[in-house]
Amino acid sequence: MGSWDLKPHPSMATRSLLGSFRATSSRLAAAPACRRSFHSYEYTQPPPFPPTESAILSAALSHVPDHGFTTAALTLGARDVGYLDVSTNILPRGVFDLVNYHLVMQRLALKDTVQFPAEAESGKKLGTGAKVRTLILARLRANESIIHRWQEALAIMAQPTYVPASLAELARLADEIWFLAGDTSVDTSWYTKRASLSAIYSSSEVFMTQDTSQNFRDTEQFLDARMEDVMKMGSIFGALGEWTDYTAHSTINVLRSKGVRI
Amino acid sequence: MNVQAPRILLRRQLLGGVKRRASREPYRCFSCSVRDAQQQTPPPKSPQHAQGTTHFGFETVAEALKEQKVGAVFSSVASSYDAMNDFMSLGIHRLWKDHFVRNLNPGRNPLTSSSSDQGWNILDIAGGTGDIAFRMLDYASTINNDAHTKVTVADINPDMLAEGRKRALSTPYARSPRLKFVEANAETLDMIPDSSIDLYTVAFGIRNFTHKGTALREAYRVLKPGGVFACLEFSKVNNPLFDAFYKRWSFGAIPLIGQVVAGDRDSYQYLVESIERFPSQTEFRDMIQDAGLLVPGQGWEDLTGGIAAIHKGVKPT
Repeated sequence: MGSWDLKPHPSMATRSLLGSFRATSSRLAAAPACRRSFHSYEYTQPPPFPPTESAILSAALSHVPDHGFTTAALTLGARDVGYLDVSTNILPRGVFDLVNYHLVMQRLALKDTVQFPAEAESGKKLGTGAKVRTLILARLRANESIIHRWQEALAIMAQPTYVPASLAELARLADEIWFLAGDTSVDTSWYTKRASLSAIYSSSEVFMTQDTSQNFRDTEQFLDARMEDVMKMGSIFGALGEWTDYTAHSTINVLRSKGVRI
Repeated sequence: MNVQAPRILLRRQLLGGVKRRASREPYRCFSCSVRDAQQQTPPPKSPQHAQGTTHFGFETVAEALKEQKVGAVFSSVASSYDAMNDFMSLGIHRLWKDHFVRNLNPGRNPLTSSSSDQGWNILDIAGGTGDIAFRMLDYASTINNDAHTKVTVADINPDMLAEGRKRALSTPYARSPRLKFVEANAETLDMIPDSSIDLYTVAFGIRNFTHKGTALREAYRVLKPGGVFACLEFSKVNNPLFDAFYKRWSFGAIPLIGQVVAGDRDSYQYLVESIERFPSQTEFRDMIQDAGLLVPGQGWEDLTGGIAAIHKGVKPT
Protein backbone atom coordinates (compact mmCIF):
# COMPACT_ATOMS: atom_id res chain seq x y z
CA MET A 1 0.00 0.00 0.00
CA GLY A 2 2.50 2.56 1.09
CA SER A 3 5.14 1.32 -1.25
CA TRP A 4 4.03 3.56 -4.12
CA ASP A 5 4.98 7.07 -3.52
CA LEU A 6 3.99 9.07 -6.53
CA LYS A 7 6.02 12.10 -7.18
CA PRO A 8 5.59 14.24 -10.28
CA HIS A 9 8.72 14.02 -12.36
CA PRO A 10 10.76 17.21 -12.11
CA SER A 11 10.90 17.54 -15.87
CA MET A 12 7.13 17.89 -15.93
CA ALA A 13 7.35 20.82 -13.60
CA THR A 14 10.06 22.51 -15.61
CA ARG A 15 8.17 21.88 -18.78
CA SER A 16 5.05 23.57 -17.53
CA LEU A 17 6.95 26.38 -15.84
CA LEU A 18 9.32 27.04 -18.67
CA GLY A 19 7.43 25.90 -21.70
CA SER A 20 10.01 27.01 -24.21
CA PHE A 21 12.75 24.68 -22.99
CA ARG A 22 12.13 22.14 -25.67
CA ALA A 23 15.75 21.12 -26.00
CA THR A 24 15.81 19.56 -22.55
CA SER A 25 12.63 17.61 -22.93
CA SER A 26 13.57 16.21 -26.33
CA ARG A 27 16.92 15.15 -24.97
CA LEU A 28 15.13 13.34 -22.17
CA ALA A 29 12.96 11.53 -24.67
CA ALA A 30 16.02 10.28 -26.54
CA ALA A 31 17.58 8.89 -23.33
CA PRO A 32 17.17 5.25 -22.20
CA ALA A 33 13.82 3.79 -23.11
CA CYS A 34 12.62 2.80 -19.64
CA ARG A 35 12.24 6.10 -17.82
CA ARG A 36 9.37 6.60 -15.41
CA SER A 37 7.69 9.92 -14.90
CA PHE A 38 7.17 9.17 -11.22
CA HIS A 39 9.28 8.06 -8.31
CA SER A 40 9.05 4.44 -7.33
CA TYR A 41 10.62 2.49 -4.49
CA GLU A 42 9.78 -0.77 -6.27
CA TYR A 43 11.80 -0.27 -9.43
CA THR A 44 15.35 0.96 -9.60
CA GLN A 45 15.94 3.81 -12.01
CA PRO A 46 18.14 2.98 -15.02
CA PRO A 47 21.68 4.39 -14.74
CA PRO A 48 21.65 8.06 -15.79
CA PHE A 49 24.47 7.75 -18.33
CA PRO A 50 25.44 5.05 -20.85
CA PRO A 51 28.51 3.00 -19.76
CA THR A 52 31.07 4.52 -22.15
CA GLU A 53 30.09 8.09 -21.34
CA SER A 54 30.07 7.51 -17.61
CA ALA A 55 33.47 5.76 -17.73
CA ILE A 56 35.07 8.71 -19.54
CA LEU A 57 33.26 11.33 -17.45
CA SER A 58 34.02 9.81 -14.07
CA ALA A 59 37.69 9.49 -15.01
CA ALA A 60 37.67 13.07 -16.31
CA LEU A 61 36.15 14.33 -13.07
CA SER A 62 39.22 13.18 -11.16
CA HIS A 63 41.31 15.56 -13.31
CA VAL A 64 39.07 18.53 -12.61
CA PRO A 65 40.91 19.72 -9.45
CA ASP A 66 44.08 20.08 -11.54
CA HIS A 67 42.77 20.98 -14.98
CA GLY A 68 39.37 22.48 -14.28
CA PHE A 69 36.26 21.90 -16.34
CA THR A 70 38.14 21.89 -19.64
CA THR A 71 38.63 19.70 -22.67
CA ALA A 72 42.04 18.83 -21.23
CA ALA A 73 40.35 17.10 -18.29
CA LEU A 74 38.09 15.24 -20.70
CA THR A 75 41.01 14.12 -22.86
CA LEU A 76 42.98 12.91 -19.85
CA GLY A 77 39.92 11.09 -18.55
CA ALA A 78 39.40 9.37 -21.89
CA ARG A 79 43.05 8.25 -21.91
CA ASP A 80 42.72 6.90 -18.36
CA VAL A 81 40.00 4.47 -19.38
CA GLY A 82 41.73 3.32 -22.55
CA TYR A 83 40.11 5.60 -25.07
CA LEU A 84 41.74 8.00 -27.51
CA ASP A 85 41.81 11.80 -27.44
CA VAL A 86 39.29 11.81 -30.25
CA SER A 87 36.87 9.64 -28.27
CA THR A 88 35.72 12.69 -26.29
CA ASN A 89 33.48 13.28 -29.30
CA ILE A 90 31.12 10.78 -27.68
CA LEU A 91 30.05 13.74 -25.51
CA PRO A 92 27.91 15.94 -27.74
CA ARG A 93 28.08 18.95 -25.40
CA GLY A 94 31.76 18.67 -24.48
CA VAL A 95 32.68 20.25 -21.16
CA PHE A 96 29.07 20.95 -20.28
CA ASP A 97 28.54 17.19 -20.20
CA LEU A 98 31.29 17.02 -17.59
CA VAL A 99 29.57 19.68 -15.46
CA ASN A 100 26.23 18.00 -15.96
CA TYR A 101 27.67 14.64 -14.94
CA HIS A 102 28.86 16.10 -11.65
CA LEU A 103 25.47 17.73 -11.03
CA VAL A 104 23.47 14.60 -11.78
CA MET A 105 25.71 12.22 -9.85
CA GLN A 106 25.76 14.44 -6.76
CA ARG A 107 22.00 14.89 -6.91
CA LEU A 108 21.45 11.13 -7.06
CA ALA A 109 24.03 10.54 -4.33
CA LEU A 110 22.07 12.77 -1.94
CA LYS A 111 19.60 10.07 -0.94
CA ASP A 112 22.45 7.78 0.14
CA THR A 113 24.68 10.34 1.85
CA VAL A 114 21.96 11.87 4.03
CA GLN A 115 20.13 9.49 6.36
CA PHE A 116 17.60 10.89 8.78
CA PRO A 117 17.21 8.89 12.01
CA ALA A 118 13.77 7.37 12.45
CA GLU A 119 11.50 9.31 14.82
CA ALA A 120 11.24 6.47 17.33
CA GLU A 121 15.04 6.22 17.72
CA SER A 122 15.96 9.82 18.25
CA GLY A 123 12.89 10.64 20.28
CA LYS A 124 12.42 14.12 18.90
CA LYS A 125 10.90 14.99 15.56
CA LEU A 126 13.13 16.58 12.96
CA GLY A 127 11.22 19.36 11.18
CA THR A 128 11.03 19.64 7.40
CA GLY A 129 12.96 22.91 7.57
CA ALA A 130 15.84 21.27 9.42
CA LYS A 131 15.86 18.38 7.00
CA VAL A 132 16.01 20.75 4.03
CA ARG A 133 18.88 22.62 5.65
CA THR A 134 20.81 19.37 6.22
CA LEU A 135 20.22 18.32 2.61
CA ILE A 136 21.32 21.65 1.15
CA LEU A 137 24.47 21.58 3.25
CA ALA A 138 25.21 18.01 2.21
CA ARG A 139 24.82 19.00 -1.45
CA LEU A 140 27.07 22.03 -1.00
CA ARG A 141 29.68 19.87 0.73
CA ALA A 142 29.75 17.64 -2.34
CA ASN A 143 31.29 20.58 -4.24
CA GLU A 144 34.04 20.93 -1.65
CA SER A 145 36.77 19.07 -3.55
CA ILE A 146 36.32 21.14 -6.71
CA ILE A 147 35.14 24.42 -5.19
CA HIS A 148 38.21 26.27 -6.52
CA ARG A 149 37.11 25.25 -10.03
CA TRP A 150 33.40 25.72 -9.54
CA GLN A 151 33.32 29.24 -10.98
CA GLU A 152 34.41 27.75 -14.32
CA ALA A 153 31.51 25.36 -14.14
CA LEU A 154 29.10 28.20 -13.31
CA ALA A 155 30.44 30.12 -16.31
CA ILE A 156 29.84 27.12 -18.58
CA MET A 157 26.32 26.66 -17.20
CA ALA A 158 25.60 30.33 -17.84
CA GLN A 159 26.33 30.02 -21.56
CA PRO A 160 23.05 30.69 -23.39
CA THR A 161 23.03 27.25 -25.06
CA TYR A 162 23.26 25.47 -21.73
CA VAL A 163 21.06 27.73 -19.57
CA PRO A 164 17.88 25.68 -20.12
CA ALA A 165 19.60 22.40 -19.24
CA SER A 166 21.25 23.97 -16.20
CA LEU A 167 17.98 25.42 -14.90
CA ALA A 168 16.25 22.10 -15.43
CA GLU A 169 18.95 20.39 -13.40
CA LEU A 170 18.56 23.00 -10.63
CA ALA A 171 14.82 22.34 -10.59
CA ARG A 172 15.47 18.61 -10.33
CA LEU A 173 17.79 19.19 -7.39
CA ALA A 174 15.22 21.35 -5.59
CA ASP A 175 12.61 18.69 -6.22
CA GLU A 176 14.90 15.94 -4.94
CA ILE A 177 15.64 17.88 -1.74
CA TRP A 178 11.97 18.54 -0.98
CA PHE A 179 11.15 14.92 -1.72
CA LEU A 180 13.88 13.59 0.56
CA ALA A 181 12.81 16.04 3.27
CA GLY A 182 9.43 14.33 3.17
CA ASP A 183 7.37 17.14 1.72
CA THR A 184 4.08 15.96 0.25
CA SER A 185 2.39 19.24 -0.62
CA VAL A 186 0.02 19.14 -3.58
CA ASP A 187 -1.10 22.79 -3.69
CA THR A 188 0.51 25.86 -5.22
CA SER A 189 3.16 25.80 -2.50
CA TRP A 190 4.65 22.91 -4.50
CA TYR A 191 5.91 25.54 -6.93
CA THR A 192 6.84 28.30 -4.48
CA LYS A 193 8.78 25.86 -2.31
CA ARG A 194 10.83 24.67 -5.25
CA ALA A 195 11.36 28.16 -6.60
CA SER A 196 12.54 29.55 -3.27
CA LEU A 197 14.77 26.56 -2.62
CA SER A 198 16.36 26.94 -6.07
CA ALA A 199 17.08 30.60 -5.33
CA ILE A 200 18.56 29.80 -1.91
CA TYR A 201 20.67 26.94 -3.19
CA SER A 202 22.11 28.75 -6.19
CA SER A 203 22.99 31.88 -4.20
CA SER A 204 24.66 29.79 -1.47
CA GLU A 205 26.59 27.92 -4.12
CA VAL A 206 27.90 31.17 -5.59
CA PHE A 207 28.73 32.43 -2.09
CA MET A 208 30.65 29.24 -1.38
CA THR A 209 33.04 29.82 -4.29
CA GLN A 210 34.30 32.94 -2.48
CA ASP A 211 34.25 31.44 1.00
CA THR A 212 37.66 31.18 2.68
CA SER A 213 36.43 30.54 6.23
CA GLN A 214 37.22 27.44 8.28
CA ASN A 215 35.09 24.50 7.18
CA PHE A 216 32.84 26.84 5.15
CA ARG A 217 31.25 28.28 8.29
CA ASP A 218 30.39 31.52 6.46
CA THR A 219 28.48 29.60 3.82
CA GLU A 220 26.48 27.89 6.55
CA GLN A 221 25.65 31.26 8.09
CA PHE A 222 24.76 32.68 4.69
CA LEU A 223 22.44 29.76 4.07
CA ASP A 224 20.73 30.21 7.44
CA ALA A 225 20.24 33.91 6.77
CA ARG A 226 18.68 33.21 3.37
CA MET A 227 16.35 30.56 4.78
CA GLU A 228 15.29 33.00 7.47
CA ASP A 229 14.64 35.61 4.77
CA VAL A 230 12.42 33.23 2.91
CA MET A 231 10.46 32.33 6.01
CA LYS A 232 10.07 36.03 6.84
CA MET A 233 9.00 36.69 3.28
CA GLY A 234 6.58 33.80 3.50
CA SER A 235 4.95 35.19 6.63
CA ILE A 236 4.88 38.70 5.16
CA PHE A 237 3.19 37.39 2.02
CA GLY A 238 0.77 35.40 4.13
CA ALA A 239 -0.12 38.41 6.28
CA LEU A 240 -0.35 40.59 3.18
CA GLY A 241 -2.76 38.14 1.59
CA GLU A 242 -4.91 38.03 4.70
CA TRP A 243 -5.01 41.81 4.88
CA THR A 244 -5.88 42.18 1.19
CA ASP A 245 -8.63 39.61 1.54
CA TYR A 246 -10.09 41.33 4.61
CA THR A 247 -9.91 44.81 3.06
CA ALA A 248 -11.53 43.69 -0.18
CA HIS A 249 -14.39 42.00 1.63
CA SER A 250 -14.97 45.02 3.89
CA THR A 251 -14.95 47.41 0.93
CA ILE A 252 -17.55 45.33 -0.89
CA ASN A 253 -19.68 45.06 2.24
CA VAL A 254 -19.51 48.82 2.84
CA LEU A 255 -20.54 49.45 -0.77
CA ARG A 256 -23.40 46.94 -0.44
CA SER A 257 -24.63 48.67 2.72
CA LYS A 258 -24.77 51.89 0.70
CA GLY A 259 -27.14 50.19 -1.76
CA VAL A 260 -24.69 49.39 -4.59
CA ARG A 261 -25.72 46.14 -6.30
CA ILE A 262 -22.64 43.94 -6.31
CA MET B 1 28.90 22.62 -94.76
CA ASN B 2 32.08 24.42 -93.92
CA VAL B 3 30.13 27.14 -92.22
CA GLN B 4 28.16 24.70 -90.15
CA ALA B 5 31.06 22.82 -88.58
CA PRO B 6 32.35 25.60 -86.29
CA ARG B 7 28.78 26.40 -85.26
CA ILE B 8 28.26 22.86 -84.07
CA LEU B 9 31.53 23.01 -82.24
CA LEU B 10 30.48 26.22 -80.55
CA ARG B 11 27.16 24.77 -79.51
CA ARG B 12 28.89 21.77 -78.06
CA GLN B 13 31.13 24.00 -76.00
CA LEU B 14 28.24 26.07 -74.71
CA LEU B 15 26.13 23.15 -73.66
CA GLY B 16 28.76 20.92 -72.18
CA GLY B 17 26.57 18.19 -70.84
CA VAL B 18 24.24 17.65 -73.77
CA LYS B 19 25.48 14.17 -74.56
CA ARG B 20 25.09 12.81 -71.09
CA ARG B 21 21.66 14.28 -70.87
CA ALA B 22 20.39 12.42 -73.90
CA SER B 23 20.11 9.15 -72.07
CA ARG B 24 17.81 10.53 -69.38
CA GLU B 25 14.98 12.37 -71.03
CA PRO B 26 14.15 13.41 -74.57
CA TYR B 27 13.42 17.02 -73.61
CA ARG B 28 14.40 19.18 -70.68
CA CYS B 29 13.73 22.78 -69.86
CA PHE B 30 14.27 25.06 -66.88
CA SER B 31 11.00 24.02 -65.33
CA CYS B 32 11.65 20.31 -65.78
CA SER B 33 13.44 20.02 -62.49
CA VAL B 34 10.56 21.58 -60.56
CA ARG B 35 8.20 19.21 -62.30
CA ASP B 36 10.50 16.37 -61.33
CA ALA B 37 10.31 17.38 -57.72
CA GLN B 38 6.56 17.66 -57.69
CA GLN B 39 5.30 14.93 -59.97
CA GLN B 40 7.84 12.25 -60.26
CA THR B 41 7.09 9.73 -57.58
CA PRO B 42 10.40 8.61 -56.17
CA PRO B 43 11.06 4.90 -56.69
CA PRO B 44 10.20 2.61 -53.76
CA LYS B 45 12.37 3.27 -50.68
CA SER B 46 13.79 -0.19 -50.24
CA PRO B 47 17.01 -0.54 -52.18
CA GLN B 48 16.45 -4.28 -52.44
CA HIS B 49 13.32 -3.92 -54.56
CA ALA B 50 15.17 -5.26 -57.54
CA GLN B 51 18.30 -7.32 -57.49
CA GLY B 52 21.43 -5.38 -58.26
CA THR B 53 19.94 -1.94 -58.78
CA THR B 54 20.34 1.24 -56.82
CA HIS B 55 19.27 4.83 -57.14
CA PHE B 56 21.11 7.55 -58.97
CA GLY B 57 19.20 10.65 -58.04
CA PHE B 58 15.59 9.76 -58.82
CA GLU B 59 16.63 7.25 -61.47
CA THR B 60 17.09 3.57 -60.83
CA VAL B 61 20.29 2.25 -62.30
CA ALA B 62 22.27 -0.96 -62.15
CA GLU B 63 24.63 -1.03 -59.17
CA ALA B 64 27.64 -1.42 -61.41
CA LEU B 65 26.68 1.75 -63.25
CA LYS B 66 26.24 4.05 -60.26
CA GLU B 67 29.92 4.38 -59.46
CA GLN B 68 30.64 5.23 -63.07
CA LYS B 69 27.83 7.78 -63.24
CA VAL B 70 28.83 9.47 -59.99
CA GLY B 71 32.37 9.53 -61.32
CA ALA B 72 31.19 11.35 -64.43
CA VAL B 73 29.29 13.90 -62.34
CA PHE B 74 32.25 14.77 -60.16
CA SER B 75 34.72 14.79 -63.02
CA SER B 76 32.60 17.42 -64.66
CA VAL B 77 32.15 19.60 -61.59
CA ALA B 78 35.68 19.30 -60.16
CA SER B 79 37.03 22.58 -61.52
CA SER B 80 34.07 24.72 -60.55
CA TYR B 81 33.36 22.85 -57.32
CA ASP B 82 34.12 25.65 -54.89
CA ALA B 83 32.44 28.44 -56.81
CA MET B 84 29.34 26.32 -57.20
CA ASN B 85 29.20 25.41 -53.52
CA ASP B 86 29.35 29.10 -52.67
CA PHE B 87 26.58 29.97 -55.11
CA MET B 88 24.29 27.17 -54.00
CA SER B 89 24.67 27.45 -50.25
CA LEU B 90 25.26 31.21 -50.21
CA GLY B 91 28.62 30.54 -48.61
CA ILE B 92 27.14 28.69 -45.66
CA HIS B 93 28.97 25.45 -46.54
CA ARG B 94 32.17 27.10 -45.29
CA LEU B 95 30.57 27.74 -41.90
CA TRP B 96 29.36 24.15 -41.74
CA LYS B 97 32.82 22.82 -42.53
CA ASP B 98 34.47 25.14 -40.01
CA HIS B 99 32.00 24.09 -37.34
CA PHE B 100 32.49 20.44 -38.22
CA VAL B 101 36.25 20.68 -37.79
CA ARG B 102 36.14 22.89 -34.69
CA ASN B 103 33.79 20.48 -32.96
CA LEU B 104 36.08 17.54 -33.65
CA ASN B 105 38.99 19.47 -32.14
CA PRO B 106 41.67 17.60 -34.14
CA GLY B 107 45.25 17.42 -32.96
CA ARG B 108 47.03 16.47 -29.78
CA ASN B 109 47.97 19.45 -27.68
CA PRO B 110 51.57 18.99 -26.44
CA LEU B 111 50.81 21.17 -23.40
CA THR B 112 48.28 18.74 -21.95
CA SER B 113 49.67 15.45 -23.20
CA SER B 114 52.66 14.32 -21.18
CA SER B 115 53.79 11.68 -23.65
CA SER B 116 54.14 13.93 -26.64
CA ASP B 117 54.29 11.30 -29.36
CA GLN B 118 52.66 11.36 -32.76
CA GLY B 119 49.45 13.24 -33.48
CA TRP B 120 46.19 11.93 -34.85
CA ASN B 121 45.88 9.82 -37.93
CA ILE B 122 42.97 11.25 -39.87
CA LEU B 123 41.37 9.68 -42.92
CA ASP B 124 39.26 12.04 -45.00
CA ILE B 125 37.08 10.04 -47.35
CA ALA B 126 35.62 11.65 -50.46
CA GLY B 127 37.64 14.73 -49.61
CA GLY B 128 39.26 15.13 -53.02
CA THR B 129 39.40 18.89 -53.06
CA GLY B 130 40.96 18.97 -49.61
CA ASP B 131 38.36 21.27 -48.05
CA ILE B 132 38.21 19.31 -44.81
CA ALA B 133 41.83 18.15 -44.87
CA PHE B 134 43.32 21.66 -44.97
CA ARG B 135 40.98 22.81 -42.21
CA MET B 136 41.96 19.84 -40.05
CA LEU B 137 45.67 20.52 -40.49
CA ASP B 138 45.22 24.25 -39.90
CA TYR B 139 43.24 23.63 -36.75
CA ALA B 140 45.71 21.06 -35.41
CA SER B 141 48.70 23.32 -36.09
CA THR B 142 47.38 26.69 -34.99
CA ILE B 143 44.92 25.83 -32.23
CA ASN B 144 46.45 22.69 -30.73
CA ASN B 145 50.09 23.39 -31.67
CA ASP B 146 50.33 19.90 -33.05
CA ALA B 147 52.84 19.49 -35.87
CA HIS B 148 52.40 15.73 -36.25
CA THR B 149 48.76 15.10 -37.09
CA LYS B 150 48.47 13.48 -40.51
CA VAL B 151 45.61 13.56 -42.96
CA THR B 152 45.09 11.02 -45.72
CA VAL B 153 42.71 12.28 -48.35
CA ALA B 154 40.97 9.47 -50.19
CA ASP B 155 38.71 9.97 -53.16
CA ILE B 156 37.43 7.68 -55.86
CA ASN B 157 37.68 10.40 -58.46
CA PRO B 158 41.11 11.31 -59.91
CA ASP B 159 39.82 14.66 -61.20
CA MET B 160 38.79 15.76 -57.72
CA LEU B 161 42.13 14.57 -56.33
CA ALA B 162 43.96 16.55 -58.99
CA GLU B 163 41.99 19.62 -57.93
CA GLY B 164 42.97 18.99 -54.31
CA ARG B 165 46.66 18.53 -55.17
CA LYS B 166 46.56 21.79 -57.08
CA ARG B 167 45.04 23.58 -54.11
CA ALA B 168 47.46 22.01 -51.67
CA LEU B 169 50.23 23.93 -53.41
CA SER B 170 48.95 27.15 -51.88
CA THR B 171 48.99 25.67 -48.36
CA PRO B 172 52.04 24.91 -46.19
CA TYR B 173 51.28 21.19 -46.40
CA ALA B 174 51.96 20.56 -50.09
CA ARG B 175 55.39 18.97 -49.64
CA SER B 176 55.03 17.82 -46.05
CA PRO B 177 54.44 14.19 -45.05
CA ARG B 178 51.36 15.32 -43.14
CA LEU B 179 49.15 15.36 -46.21
CA LYS B 180 48.67 12.43 -48.54
CA PHE B 181 46.31 11.87 -51.45
CA VAL B 182 45.08 8.37 -52.35
CA GLU B 183 42.66 7.20 -54.98
CA ALA B 184 40.37 4.74 -53.23
CA ASN B 185 36.86 3.41 -53.05
CA ALA B 186 35.41 3.89 -49.57
CA GLU B 187 33.89 0.42 -49.71
CA THR B 188 37.27 -1.33 -50.13
CA LEU B 189 40.03 0.56 -48.34
CA ASP B 190 42.57 -2.22 -48.77
CA MET B 191 45.60 0.08 -48.45
CA ILE B 192 44.49 1.16 -44.94
CA PRO B 193 45.35 -1.41 -42.22
CA ASP B 194 42.84 -2.47 -39.54
CA SER B 195 42.54 -0.29 -36.43
CA SER B 196 44.90 2.41 -37.64
CA ILE B 197 42.76 5.54 -37.88
CA ASP B 198 41.85 7.98 -35.07
CA LEU B 199 39.34 9.96 -37.02
CA TYR B 200 37.43 9.00 -40.15
CA THR B 201 35.65 11.93 -41.77
CA VAL B 202 33.41 12.12 -44.78
CA ALA B 203 31.93 15.47 -45.74
CA PHE B 204 29.24 15.59 -48.40
CA GLY B 205 30.37 12.29 -49.84
CA ILE B 206 28.56 9.34 -48.29
CA ARG B 207 25.42 10.29 -50.21
CA ASN B 208 27.09 9.16 -53.43
CA PHE B 209 28.25 5.76 -52.18
CA THR B 210 26.66 2.76 -53.82
CA HIS B 211 26.63 0.69 -50.61
CA LYS B 212 26.54 2.95 -47.57
CA GLY B 213 26.38 0.02 -45.14
CA THR B 214 29.53 -1.53 -46.63
CA ALA B 215 31.34 1.80 -46.37
CA LEU B 216 30.30 2.12 -42.70
CA ARG B 217 31.55 -1.37 -41.93
CA GLU B 218 34.81 -0.54 -43.68
CA ALA B 219 35.05 2.59 -41.53
CA TYR B 220 34.55 0.40 -38.45
CA ARG B 221 37.38 -1.86 -39.63
CA VAL B 222 39.97 0.89 -40.16
CA LEU B 223 39.14 2.83 -36.97
CA LYS B 224 41.18 2.26 -33.82
CA PRO B 225 39.11 1.22 -30.80
CA GLY B 226 37.86 4.55 -29.49
CA GLY B 227 38.25 6.13 -32.91
CA VAL B 228 35.56 8.40 -34.28
CA PHE B 229 33.51 8.29 -37.45
CA ALA B 230 32.26 11.78 -38.33
CA CYS B 231 30.05 12.58 -41.26
CA LEU B 232 28.86 15.94 -42.54
CA GLU B 233 26.04 15.45 -44.99
CA PHE B 234 22.87 17.01 -46.35
CA SER B 235 19.87 15.89 -44.39
CA LYS B 236 16.17 16.50 -43.87
CA VAL B 237 14.82 19.94 -42.95
CA ASN B 238 12.70 19.80 -39.79
CA ASN B 239 10.42 22.79 -40.26
CA PRO B 240 7.78 22.06 -42.95
CA LEU B 241 7.51 25.71 -43.97
CA PHE B 242 11.25 26.10 -44.35
CA ASP B 243 11.31 22.72 -46.08
CA ALA B 244 8.88 23.92 -48.76
CA PHE B 245 11.06 26.96 -49.42
CA TYR B 246 14.23 24.84 -49.41
CA LYS B 247 12.78 22.32 -51.89
CA ARG B 248 11.88 25.19 -54.21
CA TRP B 249 15.38 26.52 -53.97
CA SER B 250 17.13 23.22 -54.44
CA PHE B 251 15.01 21.90 -57.32
CA GLY B 252 14.45 25.26 -58.98
CA ALA B 253 17.58 27.29 -58.50
CA ILE B 254 20.47 24.90 -58.05
CA PRO B 255 20.29 23.12 -61.45
CA LEU B 256 19.84 26.56 -63.03
CA ILE B 257 22.88 27.97 -61.25
CA GLY B 258 24.74 24.84 -62.34
CA GLN B 259 23.84 25.49 -65.93
CA VAL B 260 24.73 29.18 -65.86
CA VAL B 261 27.92 29.03 -63.79
CA ALA B 262 29.36 25.60 -64.50
CA GLY B 263 27.67 24.92 -67.85
CA ASP B 264 26.43 21.59 -66.54
CA ARG B 265 22.83 21.19 -65.51
CA ASP B 266 22.65 17.41 -65.22
CA SER B 267 25.34 17.10 -62.61
CA TYR B 268 23.58 19.57 -60.35
CA GLN B 269 20.23 17.96 -61.02
CA TYR B 270 21.79 14.74 -59.76
CA LEU B 271 23.10 16.61 -56.73
CA VAL B 272 19.70 17.79 -55.54
CA GLU B 273 18.07 14.46 -56.32
CA SER B 274 20.70 12.57 -54.37
CA ILE B 275 20.15 14.90 -51.41
CA GLU B 276 16.45 14.11 -51.57
CA ARG B 277 17.15 10.37 -51.60
CA PHE B 278 19.58 10.38 -48.70
CA PRO B 279 18.16 8.78 -45.51
CA SER B 280 16.81 11.00 -42.74
CA GLN B 281 18.75 11.78 -39.56
CA THR B 282 17.24 8.91 -37.57
CA GLU B 283 17.61 6.37 -40.39
CA PHE B 284 21.24 7.25 -40.91
CA ARG B 285 21.85 7.19 -37.14
CA ASP B 286 20.47 3.65 -37.08
CA MET B 287 22.75 2.68 -39.97
CA ILE B 288 25.75 3.93 -37.98
CA GLN B 289 24.61 1.92 -34.97
CA ASP B 290 24.09 -1.15 -37.15
CA ALA B 291 27.75 -0.92 -38.20
CA GLY B 292 28.67 -1.38 -34.52
CA LEU B 293 29.49 2.22 -33.61
CA LEU B 294 28.28 4.01 -30.47
CA VAL B 295 26.50 7.27 -31.18
CA PRO B 296 26.87 10.28 -28.88
CA GLY B 297 23.61 11.61 -27.41
CA GLN B 298 20.83 11.53 -29.97
CA GLY B 299 23.41 10.73 -32.65
CA TRP B 300 23.42 13.82 -34.82
CA GLU B 301 23.52 17.61 -34.81
CA ASP B 302 21.38 19.61 -37.22
CA LEU B 303 22.92 22.55 -39.06
CA THR B 304 20.81 25.39 -40.45
CA GLY B 305 17.51 23.78 -39.54
CA GLY B 306 18.49 20.34 -40.81
CA ILE B 307 19.71 21.24 -44.32
CA ALA B 308 22.88 19.50 -43.26
CA ALA B 309 23.63 17.33 -40.25
CA ILE B 310 26.73 16.07 -38.48
CA HIS B 311 26.57 12.40 -37.54
CA LYS B 312 29.15 10.84 -35.29
CA GLY B 313 29.96 7.35 -34.11
CA VAL B 314 32.62 6.01 -31.77
CA LYS B 315 34.13 2.55 -32.12
CA PRO B 316 33.84 0.83 -28.74
CA THR B 317 36.99 -0.46 -27.08
